[in-house]
Amino acid sequence: MKAFDRARDWLDARTGYRALVRHALDEPLPPGTGWAFTSGSILTLLLAVQFLTGVVLAMYYVPSPALAYDSVRFVMDALPLGWLVRGLHVWGASFLVVAAGIHLLRVFLFGSFKAPREVTWLTGVLLLLLILAFSLSGYLLPWDQKAYWATTVTLNIAASTPLVGDLLAAVLRGGAELGALTLGRWYAAHVLLLPAAIVVFVVAHILLLRRHGVSGPITPVDGPVVRFFPWHVVKDTVMMAAVFALLLTFALLWPAHLDEIADPADATYVPRPEWYFLALFELLKYFPGPLEPIGTLLVPGLIVGFLLAVPFLDRGGERRPWHRRRLPVAAAMAAVVGGVAHMTVLGLLDTPARYDPDAWGPRSIAGLALLQQPDLGCRGCHVAGGPASDLSLTRVTRDEEWLLHHMADPVALAPGVRTEADPAPRPLLSRLQAQAVVAYLRRVRAGAAPPEVSDEDRLAATAFATSCVGCHRVAGEGGQIGPDLTTVGRRRTLDALARIIRDPTTEYGDTMMPAFGERLTPQQVEALASYLARLR
Amino acid sequence: MSDLQLSEPLARRRFLVRVVAAVHAAIGGALAFVLGTAAVAPGFERRRATWIRAGAIDRLREHEPVPVTLRVARQDGYAQVVDRRVVYLVRTGERTVRALESTCTHLGCRTSYDRERRLIQCPCHGGRFDAQGQVVAGPPPAPLPALPTRVEGDDVLVEL
Repeated sequence: MKAFDRARDWLDARTGYRALVRHALDEPLPPGTGWAFTSGSILTLLLAVQFLTGVVLAMYYVPSPALAYDSVRFVMDALPLGWLVRGLHVWGASFLVVAAGIHLLRVFLFGSFKAPREVTWLTGVLLLLLILAFSLSGYLLPWDQKAYWATTVTLNIAASTPLVGDLLAAVLRGGAELGALTLGRWYAAHVLLLPAAIVVFVVAHILLLRRHGVSGPITPVDGPVVRFFPWHVVKDTVMMAAVFALLLTFALLWPAHLDEIADPADATYVPRPEWYFLALFELLKYFPGPLEPIGTLLVPGLIVGFLLAVPFLDRGGERRPWHRRRLPVAAAMAAVVGGVAHMTVLGLLDTPARYDPDAWGPRSIAGLALLQQPDLGCRGCHVAGGPASDLSLTRVTRDEEWLLHHMADPVALAPGVRTEADPAPRPLLSRLQAQAVVAYLRRVRAGAAPPEVSDEDRLAATAFATSCVGCHRVAGEGGQIGPDLTTVGRRRTLDALARIIRDPTTEYGDTMMPAFGERLTPQQVEALASYLARLR
Repeated sequence: MSDLQLSEPLARRRFLVRVVAAVHAAIGGALAFVLGTAAVAPGFERRRATWIRAGAIDRLREHEPVPVTLRVARQDGYAQVVDRRVVYLVRTGERTVRALESTCTHLGCRTSYDRERRLIQCPCHGGRFDAQGQVVAGPPPAPLPALPTRVEGDDVLVEL
């Protein structure tokens, strides 16, 4: 212990660090500085959590469309506690937005921005914008459906800017299309540019806070001056612990979601931004066509402009928010907060119901059943040490058309494997079977664990995938000529379903649907009807 | 009296400092555990061995190392890679085969088989091994490691 003290003395003699620590901790606070003044410390904690979890995520993340999704999938599924690290980072972003909003309102209500603290307020508003920029750039990175489509919308909003819109969108996109170059620059912004900017502004914000001191309660209280450490720090610490416990609980109970991989060809996906951009998203519905820049730029611009102007509009020494001198600006702030909250709620209510992304449709179950067949032709090449990687390792990296061609004529796409004795293509699977296998491989790549399926359901799924799927859709898979059967069990009984499958004219009279009584075996019809009756 | 007035806030102060330190340590500890696990765990992953078909036993001559290149597809974190590993197959009997690593045990250079001298040679520092992988000359500290093998029908399988 003595040696440790001596080492500290040695360091202090050369750096004077003790005086610095004392200066940092011994800040005198006005009497009555209470719990409301802990919101800044909460933000500091949340920023630290984002920074630390971000460092670990960056160890595994690859900013390239070919690997970004799989690297995040690896963090979620294979890396020990990786799901929790990402959960903390994703929830941490939401917590930061909420905490920043609360901090801003606290400072506004207490009139803490008043002279001489105007510049502290300005740096605070810029910090809020930086936090939003972090969130926006962050959710492109996983390269899942949400990432892709929300960013597409963002880029189109940028493009709607009058005069410079196309230029702006081109700079943000970094290329002709949203893709590898976009991901690279957003990643650089997210992990290099924005962190550097936020550090600069946080330091400036805190230095300004120290320069002018804490504003203290709205109406000054008599009493002795309180030292920051430990009298106020203990309040900060209690609040930080509570918020951290809440963040951890959220991350544990509701793990961060990852959609399927980005698919620019998918027309079924309904893009929705993160909740903190929902208000903006909702706003666009009210300004169609040429009026759009009002929703994309004018309104958000006015809000930011108002926030920046607050200390110059609401002048004078009066700090009570209910006082008539503060009333106009307080009313404007209430309108802004109420408007954003209202639009957010509208946006939340308007979120379309999607089928459960983790549900297994019959097509992917049929694909699973096909791949489990022992005499599967794919194993001619897809074995350990074979010309292609083992099926358990094989991951869908090609588009669906390529895969279907490959399964129809595997040799054609594997040069050198076809012998002279065997020049004709030998399709391993029918097109519908191949589509089922592709559906299965896509589900697996999206991180869904294969379900336990009974033999009867396997039979039903295989029959569905080879007979019904051309016209009918279940859980987002299949054609749209016939009705969507995702919840057909609610509409039809088991008997009616079996009857319709055997001969639809008994139920509908005139219909395009052929009778399957002859094409399917009685067991298949029975299994199929029983499976469909359970879709509720 | 003045002593009492002083000592009470001091005792309280000391207590608060401890509370603050303990809570911050708890937050830091929880974060360190989660982040530390995610950062460190992959370093302790061991690769899983698989049996790979290495060729037909008929093509091997007794006591003569034949280099074969094996392709091992494996998951490398989030990526899939195909490793190309060169091993020597040495027939040791009618139905028995020995497989040797081709990496020199000295400093990891790739060895090659010299048919005339009937020796496995390392190009870097002159290490030499016989057909059984035993060191006959040079600095290698250990023989070439043998890999598990088995013969199935006509095929030789090597565990990598």
